[in-house]
Amino acid sequence: MALQNLTGDVATYPEGAAGEKQVVGRQRRGKFWAFLFRASTVFGILALLALLYNVVNSAFGFVMLQNEIDPDVIVQQAQGEMLLNASDVNPSEDDQELAAGVAVDANAIGFFGYAYVQEHSDTIRAVPVDGVEPNAATVDSGEYPLARPLYLYSAPSVLTEEPQVAAFLRYYVEHVNAVIDEVGYFPAAAESLEASLALWQEITGQNISESNGALEAGSVEVAGSSTVYPLTQRLANEFVASGFGGEINVASTGTQAGFAEFCSNGDVDIVNASRAASRAEIEACRSARRPLAEFRVGNDALAVVVSQQNSFLQNVTQEQLAQLFTTAELWSDVDPSWPSEPIVRYVPGAESGTLDFFTETVLPAELEDLPKETLIGILEANVSSGLMRRFESDQPFAERTQENVYELVVERVVESTIVKSWSLVDSIFNHSEIEAEVATVPNAELTFRSWVTGDFITSAQSSEPQFAGVRTAIFGSLWVILVTILFALPIGVGAAIYLEEYAENNRFNRLIETNINNLAGVPSIIYGMLGLAIFVRALEVITSGRLFDVGDPTTANGRTILSAGLTLALLILPLLIINAREAIRSVPASLRQASYALGATKWQTTWNHVLPSALGGILTVTILAISRAIGETAPLVVIGASTFIVADPDGPFAKFTTLPIQIYQWTSRPQAEFRNLAAAAILVLLVLLLSLNATAVILRNRYSRQGS
Amino acid sequence: MLKLDSKPNTKPEMPKRESTPSALDYAIEAKDLNVFYGNFHAVRDVNLSIERNKITSMIGPSGCGKSTVLRCFNRMNDLIASARVEGEILFNNQNIYASNVDPVQVRRHIGMVFQKPNPFPKSIYDNIAWGAKINGFRGNMDELVEQSLRGAALWDEVKDKIHQSALSLSGGQQQRLCIARTIAVKPDIILMDEPASALDPIATLRIEDLMRELVEDYTIIIVTHNMQQASRVSDSTAFFMVDESRTGHLMEYGPTKEVFTKPKNKKTEDYITGRFG
Repeated sequence: MALQNLTGDVATYPEGAAGEKQVVGRQRRGKFWAFLFRASTVFGILALLALLYNVVNSAFGFVMLQNEIDPDVIVQQAQGEMLLNASDVNPSEDDQELAAGVAVDANAIGFFGYAYVQEHSDTIRAVPVDGVEPNAATVDSGEYPLARPLYLYSAPSVLTEEPQVAAFLRYYVEHVNAVIDEVGYFPAAAESLEASLALWQEITGQNISESNGALEAGSVEVAGSSTVYPLTQRLANEFVASGFGGEINVASTGTQAGFAEFCSNGDVDIVNASRAASRAEIEACRSARRPLAEFRVGNDALAVVVSQQNSFLQNVTQEQLAQLFTTAELWSDVDPSWPSEPIVRYVPGAESGTLDFFTETVLPAELEDLPKETLIGILEANVSSGLMRRFESDQPFAERTQENVYELVVERVVESTIVKSWSLVDSIFNHSEIEAEVATVPNAELTFRSWVTGDFITSAQSSEPQFAGVRTAIFGSLWVILVTILFALPIGVGAAIYLEEYAENNRFNRLIETNINNLAGVPSIIYGMLGLAIFVRALEVITSGRLFDVGDPTTANGRTILSAGLTLALLILPLLIINAREAIRSVPASLRQASYALGATKWQTTWNHVLPSALGGILTVTILAISRAIGETAPLVVIGASTFIVADPDGPFAKFTTLPIQIYQWTSRPQAEFRNLAAAAILVLLVLLLSLNATAVILRNRYSRQGS
Repeated sequence: MLKLDSKPNTKPEMPKRESTPSALDYAIEAKDLNVFYGNFHAVRDVNLSIERNKITSMIGPSGCGKSTVLRCFNRMNDLIASARVEGEILFNNQNIYASNVDPVQVRRHIGMVFQKPNPFPKSIYDNIAWGAKINGFRGNMDELVEQSLRGAALWDEVKDKIHQSALSLSGGQQQRLCIARTIAVKPDIILMDEPASALDPIATLRIEDLMRELVEDYTIIIVTHNMQQASRVSDSTAFFMVDESRTGHLMEYGPTKEVFTKPKNKKTEDYITGRFG
């Protein structure tokens, strides 16, 4: 509604529709600016989110670890040795000998391939494990716990393109049952073998009722499980004996390595596997255009045997087995109802795959769960005696903890190295591709790694990305900041008090003020040049600590924490003075007048009223100045922060590095993993800065509450 | 040595003052006082003798220099960098603007209460004790605090919360605390710069009552915009006026009754009757 022109005079303001339009126009202009301001706020927030996204994306994600030695193998070896070193143990590579030994002693127990039990069923018997009797049915179904299936894996393309491979595979499946008992394994169920043959037929398109025809020449490469190895070797020999003109090479590399070689290159035609392929391996081989075809060929099973004279052992659990073959000395130690007679153990020798299978199944353990003594044994067996002596002199093994020894084993024996890392987003959205890629690398495993961990914060620098940490840098930053504050705070606040309370308004003081304001805008690298010239070079005697006869003579130059702290103190001084003045100026004049009116001197007024009232503001600017100093990189590069330093700084005369220097160093390394480390260090730095700023806010709130 | 401390031997007998007061009866005197702010001549040729144990009010329109003159009495103008004072202010026959006089010592004897209550952000107790402490008070501090608070008619209201923050008091209480703080250092003169202008009428009345009580022991000089207040409370009134070049000067000075009932000067009459200002 248009307002009436009350006086009826000639209207000097727009009235009616024109007036309304004028108001609408003003409102529209206001809305335009409000929108612009909102947009810039949103833009700022987006920029911040983008920054966080980048950092977090690099600081977390999958890594591919490649081990020099598979930790599982180490564990197996160690436990095998534990078995062999138990009391009353009779190891033998010859299963016949074991069977004969068990037969004559009622207190003996042993384990070996099931085949031998049947041969000696008059003198020994197999004991059910977890209540399951070992026989062809329970073994094939996997019900019997000490059994595992045996497979061959190949790919359709291999079978169709290389007829000699197809011929060997067919021969293998058709003839395996004739020899499997002799090798010491259980035959697979008839249906499994039939299914294998049917698959072969489907892939090759040949009819199994037809004979093989003329045997082809050419070579067949087999790799993989050491368990399947003897069986494949036997069948290979027979295949050659039956007239195959080519050659067959069988390698015992382990199942996992077998798959990795098969998928990554065409050198391997058939994989021996003592377990089914994992999802990741299937995926990896499919993406390598070699989709896996699975052929079941038999079963491996162990029998736990006692003499026929033994009447008390009718069943045994896996836990009891673990004790029986390791720590227990008397039968009654394991079960009180058994006689208190010493256990006489018969185990296969260290070379035997049977021993490995037993330890793997009955004594499952991770490397890190092994006792300290075992870990020391592993270390002794795998590193040079000189290195062992060095470890001993660093810290005697008797004093080391189990974790410490475990870390040594991981570092020196397993030697797992990060070969590739992925960003968080990749890890989430390309999970299966990453798994497939890892499966093609032998001895590699995929783990999700947070690059920011407790270890990251507490470890020193390292050239190995997975061991590198920021402890040295954090200590360096803290030391530098301590020195910076010790110098900058008293000088800065003192100067601010002088300029605000004492200085007269004359030409000289105005010049000083102008200079301080200009200094606040000088690029930080120029302070670095200044610090280099003055603190590092000219005052080297002092900053290197030589004057006080302290400091490290090998680094007796001025590139120390003291120089860095003094340089940063110079850098933040103008900032500190300007803002401290602001804080002092904001103390109301009425407070000063009240003090003066009581007969207080200038100093009493300043000390008792002005400074306490300005304290909140001064603390706030101090903390903000510290945040600025903590994040400063360029001047420290110029004055010569160390690029790689492992020792923590031990005082103001030590060499140093700081968090931002560390980040800068890491980002300039060629290896991608160091960029992950840099992102993690950025997170640490951000957390440090944010907590400092939060402290500033809390202090300001507290003091402003007290003040009003 | 300065003679600021040497009080006149007796309190002069009051009746004598009715005739012509002698120099001893004056607590403080301004002689040919001129004040400049930089090049600006703020106050011109003020001659003003303040009687002892009386309330003297200074009135006048805005910008007439009455506050400036008040601040000259305890050298508060020193805090303004550009201010320059010419002439003399005699306190116990000593020119407080002499070069050998420390303003701190002047303010120790001539206290001041400001327009806006300005207690320290400390406890009520510390507000009073601090001034005593810095001036070397050696007696019983608790007694002094109680005595000062009673003197400012505040004791009954705050005796239970004496260690709470002074900022929790009401505006009127805060102003009385400022008065208590001032009298705790036992000054000779109390300057009050519009002490009630930020207060409500009831609090204003209490301050005025308090001033009447305090004048038994102190000389009080008060600047006020409130004509009723000046007539109610003061014994003498000085009327300041501003000329064409905005320089303030003393127009008329005499017993309050005379100034308010039969002013000698036409301008004074106009101002008092509310015709301008």
